Amino acid sequence: MYNLIDLTDRRILVVGASSGIGKKTAITLSNLGAKLVLVAIDEEQVMQALTELSGDGHAAYYADVSKLDAIEGLIKGIVEKHGPLDGMVYSAGLGTALPLMQSKPEKVLNTFNVNFFGFFEMVRQVARKGRFNPGLRIVGVSSCASLRGDKSKSIYSSSKSAMDSAVRCMAKELAEKEICINTVAPAMTATELYAKFVEKYGEDSDTNRELTSRQYLGIAQTQDIANAIAFLISPAARFITGITMPVDGGLTTC
Amino acid sequence: MTDQEKIAMLEETWELDEGTLTADTVLADVDEYDSMAKLSLIVLMDDEFGVKLTGDVIKGFETVADILKLMENA
Repeated sequence: MYNLIDLTDRRILVVGASSGIGKKTAITLSNLGAKLVLVAIDEEQVMQALTELSGDGHAAYYADVSKLDAIEGLIKGIVEKHGPLDGMVYSAGLGTALPLMQSKPEKVLNTFNVNFFGFFEMVRQVARKGRFNPGLRIVGVSSCASLRGDKSKSIYSSSKSAMDSAVRCMAKELAEKEICINTVAPAMTATELYAKFVEKYGEDSDTNRELTSRQYLGIAQTQDIANAIAFLISPAARFITGITMPVDGGLTTC
Repeated sequence: MTDQEKIAMLEETWELDEGTLTADTVLADVDEYDSMAKLSLIVLMDDEFGVKLTGDVIKGFETVADILKLMENA
């Protein structure tokens, strides 16, 4: 049988792999045959994620992606040990929700360090000569928040918009190296973040009802997002670059 | 920090005129005490007092004095 998304023996780095969308993506890619290198800030969680992957030949590292100076050494070390990369998924992120008046510069910077600068530097380091195989594919996990506005989301939304804008430019520059780069923009997904949202507002609250009426296919499962990432990271998506793909149950269409 | 200073901090956080709040002020009577004000309170308590507020604790607040008490114990 023909398998459209065949990732057999493709070496893929998943950053932010210890929970939520990142972890589900790692598991999904391993089910499709990829050899993964997981990176996350929490040692215990990333080691746990490693045990949940299918197949063998995987590895895990713990690192704080907001420490931008350390990214070059991390990527160098990974490539030396595991060989050049075929893909990278960047799923590290902070779901910051802060009123504008309390969004002090250090809080803006803190979120941007993880959500945007970490992504930017990872791309820069992975896309260096000798660190990737021909046809490298990169997928960043953005958010529908980059396309919509809401109270308390100024920092988060702008950090995700920055990812999307950067990707449009990077795609053109990296095309010369035959590298494709895209983002996915999930809507509200059943992660820890949504659990907190429900805890705060209640499942029967107007806020939750309003959300699910706009996101009319319901709350996304992490698997829904992982599937979209699996497609974009695969050679099957070779003609797609520089885009932000909403995975949003209809949210951005109404 | 005196209660008056803490009340001033709440007024500044919620952008209320000075003297709007007293310890006895019922939060439900403050028009500006909405979901954004509650979010601001979460950030204030975490940043300034090292207290992590949960939704249930916030729901339990009836007057400004309830918040002051939590600030005192921090």
